[in-house]
Amino acid sequence: MREIREILVTGAASVSPLGRDLETAAARLAAGDSAIAEIPVSEGGERKGAAFAARIGAFTTEPEMPRAKARRLDRASQFAVVAVTRCLAEAGWTMAGNEEETGILLGTGSAGASPLVDFERQMSVESPDSASPFLFPYTVANAPASIAAIELRIKGPNVTITQKDPAGLNALFYGRLLVADARAKAIVVGAVDEWNLTYQLAYERLGVLRTPTKPGYVLSEGCSVILLEDGASARARGAHPWARLAGAASAGFQVSPQQRRARPEDVATTIRAALADAGLEPSRVGLVHSSANGVPWVDAAEDAALADVFGPALRVERVKLRVGENPCSGALQLALAARALREEPGLGAALVNVLGAGGNQIAVVLAAP
Amino acid sequence: MHDRTVVVTGLGAVSSLGNDLASTWAGLVAGRSGIGPITLFDASGFRTKLAAEIRAMPDPGVSPRMLRRLSRTDVIGLTAAREALADSGLDLLREDPTRIAVVLGGGVSGLLDSEGYFRDLLEKGPRGARPTRVLNHPPDQTTDRIAEVWGFLGPRATITTACSSSSTSLGYASDLIRSGVADVVVTGGADTFARLTHGGFNALRACDSEPCRPFDRGRKGLTIGEASGILVFEEEGRARRRGATIRARFLGYGITSDAHHMTQPEPSGEACARTMRSCLKHSGLNPGDVDYVNAHGTATVQNDPAETLSIKLALGERAREICISSNKSMLGHCLCSAGAIEAVATVRTIETGIVPPTISYVEPDPDCDLDVVPNVAREADIRVALSNSFAFGGNSTVVAFGRA
Repeated sequence: MREIREILVTGAASVSPLGRDLETAAARLAAGDSAIAEIPVSEGGERKGAAFAARIGAFTTEPEMPRAKARRLDRASQFAVVAVTRCLAEAGWTMAGNEEETGILLGTGSAGASPLVDFERQMSVESPDSASPFLFPYTVANAPASIAAIELRIKGPNVTITQKDPAGLNALFYGRLLVADARAKAIVVGAVDEWNLTYQLAYERLGVLRTPTKPGYVLSEGCSVILLEDGASARARGAHPWARLAGAASAGFQVSPQQRRARPEDVATTIRAALADAGLEPSRVGLVHSSANGVPWVDAAEDAALADVFGPALRVERVKLRVGENPCSGALQLALAARALREEPGLGAALVNVLGAGGNQIAVVLAAP
Repeated sequence: MHDRTVVVTGLGAVSSLGNDLASTWAGLVAGRSGIGPITLFDASGFRTKLAAEIRAMPDPGVSPRMLRRLSRTDVIGLTAAREALADSGLDLLREDPTRIAVVLGGGVSGLLDSEGYFRDLLEKGPRGARPTRVLNHPPDQTTDRIAEVWGFLGPRATITTACSSSSTSLGYASDLIRSGVADVVVTGGADTFARLTHGGFNALRACDSEPCRPFDRGRKGLTIGEASGILVFEEEGRARRRGATIRARFLGYGITSDAHHMTQPEPSGEACARTMRSCLKHSGLNPGDVDYVNAHGTATVQNDPAETLSIKLALGERAREICISSNKSMLGHCLCSAGAIEAVATVRTIETGIVPPTISYVEPDPDCDLDVVPNVAREADIRVALSNSFAFGGNSTVVAFGRA
């Protein structure tokens, strides 16, 4: 394995409940908009109180993919095809001749949910033999990354990772090792998710989601990605880097898989490890994308950790409170952080911190290129 | 960052052939089939009524309170991990838990329970369905459970690339050690049977109604299995310093995307040959170094000839000098844990010099004309072995192990 010298972020794209592209999402966040909305009674029936979700609503794959072709794909794969296509275009990365030098790694927490539920319904309500062979391939979580790979002729590493909320950052964590190992010159990393009513109802009844009277998180959907490139290769082709991947740290806490719990000192340790990996002092970080998602005790633990590491006067973005939670939201924060460094190089560096259920945490440091 | 080497110091297994490494390996060497009638759900509506089920759940060695919360996948994953960790001889009280990572392949996880929730939801509505039944559905549950039970605080990841999940997990695990992020990684995978996976492969007409027959001319498809294979990967220097028994070396892996089709293998064999070549390159091997290939060998009409072509393209003349075999003929296709249980078998093959056979082999297929070790295990001097895993979506991974 080569020493990890320089890995650059040369492009980013997003399909999120805040918009079909990253610029729209950034503008709406700057304007104070939220994508979180009440779920109508027509979906899931009457509830004791209102339920909320951050959803994309009507979506078209055009112009990136003709609608007729997209009809065969599941919703998450449609998000992925659009986001990955736009990301490569933003980076000026040409696929022709670079197929084997291009990879894709996506995290997910929910890809395949709707095809899976539909397939189960067909087997149960109709008969096992009537279940659609066209639906089954989209029940696997790697369908979005693989569909994007097939559509764009990506022939390098192709990986899908699930590891709770930080799965998108986990894709970055593995992706940078693959670039360092010269397995590809450019790797799309990020996450993809789809909202699904069946899971929404289950989580509502488990009491973990936000209601008008109880704090909690809100489920989200979308696909956000960034392009990681080997620095020497990117500079040689004249790419305009948005940011540099400076460092990352991944850690676990000893809690059960469903629990959302974190101690400030553990969270701070991982953030310090990411800064150490980046070789940066906390004072060099001008922006933090926080993991805050509405779970009070975890948000408080993170706040305490950030105060401990950075002190009080830090610019902190709490995007998930307006765009919901799922691995795709962590990936959106990566894209937004890279964009912020492109727009405001004076920020120096940006930290993206994601905490997840089961004691999963990953912190990533991007720096001005 | 140093270029560190990776060795295997522990193995654990739970499969349809037995609930530990010894019984699984004995079954493979004896050419015993783990395939039988489906018992986990009513299979009467399906064309295929066979699977390689684990007949009796093992004791994962956790508290009754935790046991009640575990999925079938968690149970076999924890059991295999316990065996692998004991086999490794690691004194966990003396290890730094922040330097121990967990990287598994997984996909089905607690789906069997979730399916009960989905059915209740359809039949009884939201109030009649117990939502706790979906809690174990995420594929990463077993990874988190292993970290929780042993208190491992290093990185965690669950690879979900269908049938290549576990082989890719081995690759990521090795990268964590080689790059210095971790010293020890509990890796491999766990996956169990569910109605959806059985229904899905039946819908695709990819299942044989008889036990699967890899590389046989009359093959009609796969038989689904379930298993957990866990390997303890360790940085070689520290393993040697602590006097660990090194079972094998992990030499490297290849990982590529076919970019061809969601369910069909690329028929010329070139796509998977590229994965095998990538594995050889990243492992510092030449085709002539390879002594054995643990084939993907699913027994589908399309896979086996395409894989035969891939092996010929990647290894050239060496392909005709060595043996290949399919563990799936006995274990069934264990989907997201296939690469893990087959990696365990590959390490044992190198250690013992015994190549497990491809059973249920009756009639040679001219399109699958390599030496597939038909029906009876064989002794051979195996210094280097590859294990192939090719998945839905064109996610292909090939791993290489070498003698310690």
